Amino acid sequence: MHRRGVGLAAFDRHEQSKRQFAELSNALSKTQIEHLQAQLTQFRTALAHFASTHRDSIRRDPTFRHAFQQMCSSIGVDPLAGPRKGGWWAEMLGLGDWQYELGVQIVDVCVSTRDRNGGMIEMSELVRLVSKLRGVSGGVIDEDDVMRSIKTLQPLGAGYQVVEIGGRKLVRSVVKELDDDQTVVLSIANELGGRVVEGDLIRSKGWTRGRASAALENMLIRDGLCWIDEQDERDGRAYWIPSAMQWNE
Amino acid sequence: GFLLPSIHSAPPFFTQQPSPSTSTSFSDQWIKLILAYARHRRLFYLRVEDAETSGNDWDEVLKNERINRKVLPPYLEHILSLMVAKNVAVYDPAKQTRAVLLYWRLPEEWAETLHEWATSTGQLNTIMTFYDITDPPVESPLSGIPLPLLRRAINVLSKTNQAQIIAVADGEGVRFFAPTGK
Repeated sequence: MHRRGVGLAAFDRHEQSKRQFAELSNALSKTQIEHLQAQLTQFRTALAHFASTHRDSIRRDPTFRHAFQQMCSSIGVDPLAGPRKGGWWAEMLGLGDWQYELGVQIVDVCVSTRDRNGGMIEMSELVRLVSKLRGVSGGVIDEDDVMRSIKTLQPLGAGYQVVEIGGRKLVRSVVKELDDDQTVVLSIANELGGRVVEGDLIRSKGWTRGRASAALENMLIRDGLCWIDEQDERDGRAYWIPSAMQWNE
Repeated sequence: GFLLPSIHSAPPFFTQQPSPSTSTSFSDQWIKLILAYARHRRLFYLRVEDAETSGNDWDEVLKNERINRKVLPPYLEHILSLMVAKNVAVYDPAKQTRAVLLYWRLPEEWAETLHEWATSTGQLNTIMTFYDITDPPVESPLSGIPLPLLRRAINVLSKTNQAQIIAVADGEGVRFFAPTGK
């Protein structure tokens, strides 16, 4: 997150510039140095112009935004650096604020759904709810935007992490890790559309009834990671994992 | 029609949950749903009996035919107790726990509506019976309001001298006054 001294930002710092130009002057003639400086100034002006012209497009359109971010990393500039780190660059785009705002919205959704999903939310559900929060004026955001934003949340120590289980991406927002058995239950639940009973774990994983029962009951009562349905026609009691369920809305 | 929340299609929603955090989340959602539906259909009472029978006003909410689930009587009784604790309902009749009068609008808000209606229909300072209020010739926001709720609203108004209960020939009557400026 605190990437240092690549691209334009480095050349800006006076001491470093002096040193680097001193090195260069050993190899290049004075005219060549002046030519290089003129080029850099021209490039910087063009970049600033580009940034302010396309700021709105960058904020609104994910495809444009990704192309822009790829261009930035290829020339060694980090547009995600916050106002204090990126200096004029981040201010030109205001992307630092945009990223921060998205991060706050992600946390908002995760915290407000934690009671019903135990701190595990499916990525597409998260994107949908954050989009709802942003409304039409917020511009479109997609999974990549959310994933990049979650990366920037990690240094905050809040335990936000993207985990992949059974081919689906889930966002975990509680510090407690899933134990191995719970991870298995989650992946079975994904295959079965959310509903799991002990029999599913016994049949497909060869678990004993005791092991299956303990895993499911812990998820239900201790961790609040699943729900119980006591009117299930087939098995009487069935466990439902919210992050693996299909929600129609 | 009334739009049910998507959680109403989840089978576990109809089971009282053992996990405290999930249980609170579910009951909050049930309470919100019940009050919204009551407001939409102008239903004033909810009874455990409504979970014990079919073909009543609450079928749409207490049951989901499509997934073959329903709120069972003990769970409904539990939800009623939570609503009373939150002051969005009162046990009616008193001293029992199987039926509540719903406050999808608070007595204070009913009081305001009542006084506005009396004023706008030019009935200030005239004596009216309760029946004149609950069954007016022209439909009003007060039409069909249960008497216990009407009494509470009038009590709120009488505290600020905007209403006075009066004994009339065959029951109770009330007179409304213009608010005295402060």
